[in-house]
Amino acid sequence: MRKPRSLTPLFFLLPALVLMVPFVIYPVLKTIYFSFFLNGKFVGLDNYRHVLLSSDIINLERFPTKSPPWGSLINNIIFIAIHLPSTIFLGLGLALLLRKEEVKGSSLIKSIVFLGMVIPMIVGGLITRFLFEQGAGVIPSVLGALGIKSLDITWTAFPQTALFAVILGSIWIWTGFSMLMYSAGLASIPKDYYEAALIDGANKFQIFKNVTWPLLKPITIVVVAMTLLWDLKIFDIVYVATGGGPGGASMVLALQMWDYFARELNYNYAAVVAVLLTTLTLIPAMWLIRRRE
Amino acid sequence: MSTKKMLFSLLLIGVLAFSIVASGCIGGQQTTTSASTQTTTKTTTTTTTKIQEQVTLKVIGPWSGKELDAFMKVIKAFEAQHPNIKVEYKTYRAEDLATILPLQFESKDTPADVIAMWGWFITKMGEKGHLMTFNNVINPDEYIPGVLDAVTANGKIYGVPFTAAAKPGFWYRKSFFKKYGLKPPQTWDEFVALLAKIKKIPGIKAPIVSGDSVGWPLSDITEHFILTFGGAQMQLGLISGKIKWEDPQVKAIFEQRLVPLLKAGYFSEPVEWTSAVTAWWKGDYALYFMGTWITGMVDDPNDLGLISLPGCKAMVLAPDYFMVPKYTAHPKEAMELAKFLATEGQRIHVGTNSGKLATWKKVTIDDYWPPMKDVAKIVSNVQAVPDLDDSVGGEWQKTFWDQLKLLWVQPDRLDDVLKTLDEKFPKK
Repeated sequence: MRKPRSLTPLFFLLPALVLMVPFVIYPVLKTIYFSFFLNGKFVGLDNYRHVLLSSDIINLERFPTKSPPWGSLINNIIFIAIHLPSTIFLGLGLALLLRKEEVKGSSLIKSIVFLGMVIPMIVGGLITRFLFEQGAGVIPSVLGALGIKSLDITWTAFPQTALFAVILGSIWIWTGFSMLMYSAGLASIPKDYYEAALIDGANKFQIFKNVTWPLLKPITIVVVAMTLLWDLKIFDIVYVATGGGPGGASMVLALQMWDYFARELNYNYAAVVAVLLTTLTLIPAMWLIRRRE
Repeated sequence: MSTKKMLFSLLLIGVLAFSIVASGCIGGQQTTTSASTQTTTKTTTTTTTKIQEQVTLKVIGPWSGKELDAFMKVIKAFEAQHPNIKVEYKTYRAEDLATILPLQFESKDTPADVIAMWGWFITKMGEKGHLMTFNNVINPDEYIPGVLDAVTANGKIYGVPFTAAAKPGFWYRKSFFKKYGLKPPQTWDEFVALLAKIKKIPGIKAPIVSGDSVGWPLSDITEHFILTFGGAQMQLGLISGKIKWEDPQVKAIFEQRLVPLLKAGYFSEPVEWTSAVTAWWKGDYALYFMGTWITGMVDDPNDLGLISLPGCKAMVLAPDYFMVPKYTAHPKEAMELAKFLATEGQRIHVGTNSGKLATWKKVTIDDYWPPMKDVAKIVSNVQAVPDLDDSVGGEWQKTFWDQLKLLWVQPDRLDDVLKTLDEKFPKK
């Protein structure tokens, strides 16, 4: 005989539902509805066809053989391909290096690394812009001093470097999050495991491979999913640092949506990009939820 | 258990009902159009009773710093003439307003009573029924020809012009030219020779500094080349879309005039435009293409000299426009202020160090701030044309700025740039 389910948890959901239905669920449904209309007329999938075939989204004429612009979707993919592994390994590396018991002043260094996460994203974008400005920024100056004259330029002004400037700026901002998560994960691993491994004669690499890394798996899942979400919805830094330019070389999906909405005043195309973006972000989000369950 | 279920069902129905009602409210505000008339009528009635009371008008404009100081002198003069009206000013960039206003207007609301905005945007909002009209408020014959075109649609005037910036050419420091024995050129060849000579001066980063922001400084330079070598008709043709960017005559201007200068390194990479003023003034660069407002941004406006490209017969005149949303709580006072800004306010504004020119023909040369008198005379002798990208507006404007940034660093991509500008041009 099945035990009847308690309805009590549902009562606790009611306050959230009161807010979620009109302010989240309704706008989402309305956005999906808008994406099938143009100038007040139902157009089926025409808006999707127009947006997806646009060179603003995927520019197959130029990608991958010619220099950017390659389209905002491709830029988002490049963003993920570079940003995701970089922040994971940098964050993990820093967390390992700055373990409290091994490094003096590790808290201070961690705070400095975490600073990128604390500042507003708009400020992060401005700092990124100036970091890569010829004459004023650290990066071109250092590269110039090292003799790499081709990179002693204003990175945000050139199509070949603009996207990479934004990605590197974003790595600086996001590494603090990754480091903090891994630091917490490392602190939760019992010391006994390491002592047992040492008694068994394991070297440092073997300990990392067989003890640390597997036990950090739940943290890695969270970091990967959160970073994917960050990369897909990246907007502020690009908006401030490059505006998506030059020539669309650093355009990303969220900024494309903004342009359709705010510049072209075409809410229907903006809704299409919003739906695509939501669909893309749902994939890592659902993966994360399932893995956590 | 059944009582619990019933109670829960009732609560759930309650939540859904509330949600639907709340959603309905949101949706209704977005779609109902007939309500606007009622709203206007109500606010007008309220104002009639309040007319003698103290009224506070909110004004939004793009100015800050010295530009704001100049504008506030106009506001002070208005307040002195209208003791019952107080004006509060807020600074917003037009780029930011473009995202805020459409949503506010759709919900029959406005962040201010009088708002400065791009002409194309005003027309678009006017056509959607969000703005008051000025047909019975100002006399179009009192304005320089063409200045109202940007804010007029189907015979309705949706905005009023304020003062305008002219974009007359390359500014230089007279003291700099004197120090290095340089002279303003009279021909194109002399202009190119001047740039070559400046490039050899020790310590000079580039002869011309390219201002950067969202992109307009580069478009201003480009328009000056188009006006000089293609004339006003070409500029007007490009604005209307009758002339294509890939048209051989347009392309020739880029290929033969602008691109060779870019390739020769006579223009700097784009530098943030206000920082560029400082760098240019201290001698890192010799020339700076900028609008007339630069006269109010430098330490000594009397040290300023101006070089238009030799042969230039037309000049961009870019007015600031004001609009009054229908959703203002004080329509009468707001219209009064807008009228003042479009008329006597201009006289006051050109008398300050705003670096602006009047669009109202009743303003005379004597009304001008002394350093601007010569510029006003120069501008009065050439044909004034509207700003190209401001006139087209929308997504294309951003594309234009962005493509020029690309051209500036990769002049070899000229064909791609012109093709993109044609492809993205708004379809009529």
